[in-house]
Amino acid sequence: MAAQWRRCWRGHGAVTGVVDAVCGVTAGARGPGAGCLTKEVLLPVRNTHNSIRPSTFTRFRSGFLHPAARSCCCRIHSDAKLKDPFSLAQEDLKNLYEDIKKQLLVSKTELKALCDYYFDGKGKAFRPMIVVLMARACNIHSNRDGGLLPAQRSIAMISEMIHTASLVHDDVIDGADMRRGKNTINEVWGERKAILAGDFILSAASMALARIGNTTVVSVLSQVIEDLVRGEFMQLGSKENENERFKHYLEKTFKKTASLIANSCKAVSILVNSDPEVHEIAYQYGRNVGIAFQLVDDVLDFTSCANQLGKPSAADLRLGLATGPVLFACQQFPELHSMIMRRFGSDGDVDRAWRYVLESDGVEQTSFLAQRYCHEATRQISRLQPSPERDALIRLTELVLNRDK
Amino acid sequence: MAVRSRLALLGSLSSLGSPGSLGSPGSLGSPRRGWRSLSLFSGPSPSSWSKVVSDAEKIVGYPTSFMSLRCLLSDELSNVAMHVRKLVGTKHPLLNTARGFVYDSKHNLQMRGLVVLLMSKAAGRSGSASDALLPDMISGIYPSQRSLAEITELIHTAFLVHRGIVNLKEWTFSDGTLKDMQFGNKMAVLSGDFLLANACTGLAQLNNTKVVELISSAIGDLVQGVYYENSNSAEEGKLSVASWEDQVFLSHGALLAKSCQAAMELARHDAEAQTLAYEYGKHLALAHKLNSDLQPFMKSGSDPVVFSLDSAPAVFHRQIVGHEIWTHQLQQAQNSTTQMDYSKLWTGIRSGGGVKQAVDLCTQHGNTALEAIRRFPPSEARSALENIASAVTRF
Repeated sequence: MAAQWRRCWRGHGAVTGVVDAVCGVTAGARGPGAGCLTKEVLLPVRNTHNSIRPSTFTRFRSGFLHPAARSCCCRIHSDAKLKDPFSLAQEDLKNLYEDIKKQLLVSKTELKALCDYYFDGKGKAFRPMIVVLMARACNIHSNRDGGLLPAQRSIAMISEMIHTASLVHDDVIDGADMRRGKNTINEVWGERKAILAGDFILSAASMALARIGNTTVVSVLSQVIEDLVRGEFMQLGSKENENERFKHYLEKTFKKTASLIANSCKAVSILVNSDPEVHEIAYQYGRNVGIAFQLVDDVLDFTSCANQLGKPSAADLRLGLATGPVLFACQQFPELHSMIMRRFGSDGDVDRAWRYVLESDGVEQTSFLAQRYCHEATRQISRLQPSPERDALIRLTELVLNRDK
Repeated sequence: MAVRSRLALLGSLSSLGSPGSLGSPGSLGSPRRGWRSLSLFSGPSPSSWSKVVSDAEKIVGYPTSFMSLRCLLSDELSNVAMHVRKLVGTKHPLLNTARGFVYDSKHNLQMRGLVVLLMSKAAGRSGSASDALLPDMISGIYPSQRSLAEITELIHTAFLVHRGIVNLKEWTFSDGTLKDMQFGNKMAVLSGDFLLANACTGLAQLNNTKVVELISSAIGDLVQGVYYENSNSAEEGKLSVASWEDQVFLSHGALLAKSCQAAMELARHDAEAQTLAYEYGKHLALAHKLNSDLQPFMKSGSDPVVFSLDSAPAVFHRQIVGHEIWTHQLQQAQNSTTQMDYSKLWTGIRSGGGVKQAVDLCTQHGNTALEAIRRFPPSEARSALENIASAVTRF
């Protein structure tokens, strides 16, 4: 079945590398359930090229709306009750934002207000949540009882700080005026101060990181900062060749989103366990969940607004970015190629590209790819000793796939 | 891209306009500041100064202009260099900064790195037990100290670039189209972030968390100093001499002071050596800032002058004459057009006591730096640091 699965994808050239990357490691672990799902989704791609297929869509959706089926095939003990990750992490994340604000030591009131701006407790704290769950899962795996180590909680804090600093800079680069329901820093205080505030948050994160006193951990998280910038640079350019373009997209996705999660997970594992294999499990879980998270984000850019507002938003297209759904759609509608190359810069490009994407199965394909990454994340984390936190991390992969905002 | 063509690309940036055109920065706020900072160490009479620098470079066995070469030759910055060419003809400050970046290195003005290297060499081996664990020195400097010198330059350059981000809402159509400014900002954010990220990974490789913390705090200081640079405090007359010094320490002194201290930490020198190195870096930077602030006031009356209202002589002058007279002088200089008539103000400040006070303060900081460095054992590196401290107090 694995062979067939690959063959289908090979027919479409662009994603061969991806599939090998995801599948290469998963092949052994995949149960019959996953195989069936694969077939269902992929068949239409092979057969048709120009119409919407509601039936496929439904089947596909229903596939990943029932997490139980997938949990089975991933060999989770079905009687183990899967805990809600958010409530499980809640205790450890109490006062997280207060503690972050304490790290931001600024004497001048205005700069302080800018630095604190996004630490208002309204964020999802998605990254810190993964970090503390991973930390506890690793602690139990390492037969270490007692709670979270203070250094591990610091990593949770630092991950949110690095994430926020990069958001502040991204908003300037993208010229965004709204974030999380409020005006962006650049909109309120101007671009110059926004950049400086981002730099300050980063320096505070770096200081907190240094105070942990572990040089390996410092190296691991410094890599994130470099990846974030390199990812942003990758977003400036696009590749002419379709194969390369997809690789470029996934690499960019890793650097911009997954690297932070992967390396934060790795850092908390390093703090409790010296076994490189455990570090690799933590890293691979974070990497796969991170990429899946971003793929779903890219899908939501097309679907969430269409459902909720009834009109296209397509923020990525407006920024000139060709994300997963567009790249898949381009296989069916080669007309998209020239639009991708000119970064949707001509009149009507955004609307046209938007229609092509929805007419194609780009959205389903991207969702499916996200699902593959989540499978792999689950497979990786399942190698740790069982614990409520480990199972919550498994449950989290489903939440990542099913989130609608 | 081959190394050679990248260099050519960067070289082409320097020819985008003659550096001479940078001498008339009156029209814009940020670029003037960017450029002024670039020429930071070019204040004292150029010929004797470059001799002090080139002698010092021989001592550390390392042309400091090549320090950031690895970064300059990266795909990312080549990319930026290519894009920056699109900004020719616009007024985005990044253009000047990029031009200055090349100009700067050609003229061996990466002084922070050079001072860190000289300080490392002047301090030598610590002789402590853990010293045996350190790798071999090259020209009397540990490899980690050379990395640190490079990191210091990366951070400094990153902030030159980030200083030049423009606030889009403040730009009118006559200043160039909004699109150009947006694009310039994008490039400035990315290249500054790239330099900072390289500094972060470089720091991590030093394997010393105390140094990471120290240099990270210097980045925080820089942000705080730069943040209030362009605020209107000067016009409002709120900036006192003490707060001027505090702010200049943050924006111009903290990085050098903490880098000098970190260089001692990397060689396992004790707390006393660390404090002395910190003091030297701090007071040298302050003396130097005063020196460059004073330059416009040292010229003869016939040259056209432009200076910042935040510069030391202006700030001190305002303190001496009092808020009311200062406001009056400002109004007089501004009454006819929206453009400030700097020569009128210049004459006013020169005839007051602000210039002398700034000169005195410069000498004072220079001497404190000298005292600190003289506590190290005599060596050619120490002499070079003494020469540098003396040069910044000469006018």
